[in-house]
Amino acid sequence: MTKATIYFLSLAIGGVLVFSSCNSGQKKQKSEEQQIVESVNVDGKLVDDFKKSKLIFYSLPSPLETAMLIKRAGATYSEELLNPLSNIDKYSTNRQMALNLGIYSADLSYTSLFDQTQSSIKYMANAKRLADGLGIMDAIDEETLKKLEANIDNRDVMLDIISETFMSSNAYLTENDRPAIAVMVLVGGWVEGLYLATRLTNGSVENNKRLIDRIVYQKLSLYTVINLLEEYQDNEDVQYLLERISELNEIFEKVEISNTSKIEAETDAESRVTTIKAESEAVISPIVFEELMKKVEEIRTEFVS
Amino acid sequence: MRLSIILISLFLGVLNVNSQCINFAKSVGKDYLGEYIHDGNYNATILEEGEKAELYKTFFSGQKYRVAIAKVEQLPDIHFRILDKEGNVLFDNIKYDYRLVWDFKVESTQMLIVELNVLEKSTGADDLINGCVSVLFGLEPGKKKKK
Repeated sequence: MTKATIYFLSLAIGGVLVFSSCNSGQKKQKSEEQQIVESVNVDGKLVDDFKKSKLIFYSLPSPLETAMLIKRAGATYSEELLNPLSNIDKYSTNRQMALNLGIYSADLSYTSLFDQTQSSIKYMANAKRLADGLGIMDAIDEETLKKLEANIDNRDVMLDIISETFMSSNAYLTENDRPAIAVMVLVGGWVEGLYLATRLTNGSVENNKRLIDRIVYQKLSLYTVINLLEEYQDNEDVQYLLERISELNEIFEKVEISNTSKIEAETDAESRVTTIKAESEAVISPIVFEELMKKVEEIRTEFVS
Repeated sequence: MRLSIILISLFLGVLNVNSQCINFAKSVGKDYLGEYIHDGNYNATILEEGEKAELYKTFFSGQKYRVAIAKVEQLPDIHFRILDKEGNVLFDNIKYDYRLVWDFKVESTQMLIVELNVLEKSTGADDLINGCVSVLFGLEPGKKKKK
């Protein structure tokens, strides 16, 4: 065997080990549990139980879902709230590119839902540049842009293209041992959605109660954001984001959400629909809302700068 | 040299297995969403018989969701339940012939847990079957405006 072959094989074997152990945070956790189990002399049943420990996933509202929630709450379109396209030249680090890939994806979803097709094409082009910068292969290619341009009259197809590019970017990063970057993209998109929603209230808790409701219930999503970030807090960029998001959490702690009735479900087997019934109450004071708006703006300004 | 080929194949094999779930989610999982718009989130991994997974997600009031779970053919049925954060079971597919596609509406916004358990059909621990499982969420499209 030549030296080069040995070198390549070492890399390959190392790569296999690293890839296998970091495929996802959950898998990594399982592997550590396995090691612990294997170092203790226990019966086979217990080993089996540990090997089959649960994998935990956290799913954040995607940029598309958030934009849909904003639109269905009766909010309007406001171009000046979007991250300017020209800002793209500022982003050179992985953290900046990842956060702003999420931010531009949220803006892209928002423009598409409001039929701002020319802006959508421009925002998709920016998302492509950032995805390329992060080395995400094939998630957004020239073909995607052409397909988007060809379907400007068909919103559902446009939304499908957007959702597919978002999934492909996320999957590429997750499956190529870069889950921390994937999480940063998700967090960037979530913060942008929250920024758009809070700004679209014009600073009043009275203007659009449905939109306020959407914002207040992001407290539940924040739990997901924090759990996601905590999984990868060994990464210093994620650690930084966790600190910033914790500041937001301190404000959300002042928001009260409670179920005022028991949660019950009613299933219609024929139409295959389950309706989950519960009465819930969410309260935010004007002072806390103002505090929240300012904090969201501060964090978002830092992300896009 | 033969050893090199075996090791390289092994390496590429692992890469291939890990990258299959995105293709599986795109080609199989997304189809299960039907006319619902995929939210764009990627939730897929390799699971083996007997393995459990939980997914935490906030369901917003006024939005109808389709939960579409897809699995590779060789895997046994998947037991799928929806629970609230207190662990109360709100939906259980065991009552509906292990169906993996179901729609949900919530009257008030709730954080819910989607729980999956791949059933076991193998007899020995050495021949456990594994494969890709995806959990995709679809959003009901808006009503089309009449022209």
